[in-house]
Amino acid sequence: MNAARLIFDLAGAVAFVFAAVMVVHRNPIKSLLAIVVSFFALAAGFVLLSAPFLAAIQVIVYAGAILVLFLFVTMLLNLQTEEETADRRPFQKLFALVGIVALAAILLSDVRRSGEITGTSGQPPATGAVEPLARALFSQAALPFEAVSVLLLASLTGAYVLMRRERSGSAAP
Amino acid sequence: MSVPLTDVLVVSVALFALGLAGALLRRNAITIFLSIELMLNAANLAIVGFGAKVGGYQGQIVVFFAIVVAAAEAAVGLAIFVAVFRHHETIDVNKINLLKW
Repeated sequence: MNAARLIFDLAGAVAFVFAAVMVVHRNPIKSLLAIVVSFFALAAGFVLLSAPFLAAIQVIVYAGAILVLFLFVTMLLNLQTEEETADRRPFQKLFALVGIVALAAILLSDVRRSGEITGTSGQPPATGAVEPLARALFSQAALPFEAVSVLLLASLTGAYVLMRRERSGSAAP
Repeated sequence: MSVPLTDVLVVSVALFALGLAGALLRRNAITIFLSIELMLNAANLAIVGFGAKVGGYQGQIVVFFAIVVAAAEAAVGLAIFVAVFRHHETIDVNKINLLKW
């Protein structure tokens, strides 16, 4: 068993355990902090899959920006821990669990055949270097790159409009 | 010296199933949203794993765009939560019947 595989499995186990903590924990702040650890472990996995740039933006954008935004909103809303209320549809949870287990079983049975996949693209395997990724991103993916900047502007505007308090008296546009 | 694709996919399936469980079973909207982010990350991991196997940088480019779209989604989703919280004083999804004002 090689070292890269060992470290990847370790990172995957850490990601899984802390994701489970996130799902189970009743306090939203603690679930947030647990998923930050999970995303850090996933970043370590990206490094081992020769994607260090994605590992960097996983840490900076996901753990650093998106989850901090979650943290701010959670603190702003001053949420209490989820209280136990009477479940009006008790069978819903049972069906959900059965469905999840079935989905995981189907996917895992397909995973066993993944050894048949080999490099067919004719391209050299990705190295850790960022430069060829940047060249590909700004040449063949230049149009989606620009489109996604418009998407970010649109979501920024949308978030502003949703969060804005409507002043009584002035007509809403 | 490389990670076998099977390991990557097993981790990805496990994280996706956990995220799905959280999204279906929890009632706090913030936790549901975090579970959706976890499912997105599991899919990202699978794409990077396949990309490393096939070669080239296509997989990493797709994941880059997935992360950008996830950032946009998080901003709008959290804004919706704040707006809903102002109306209902709760974001427990059992107590919000959004389509019945």
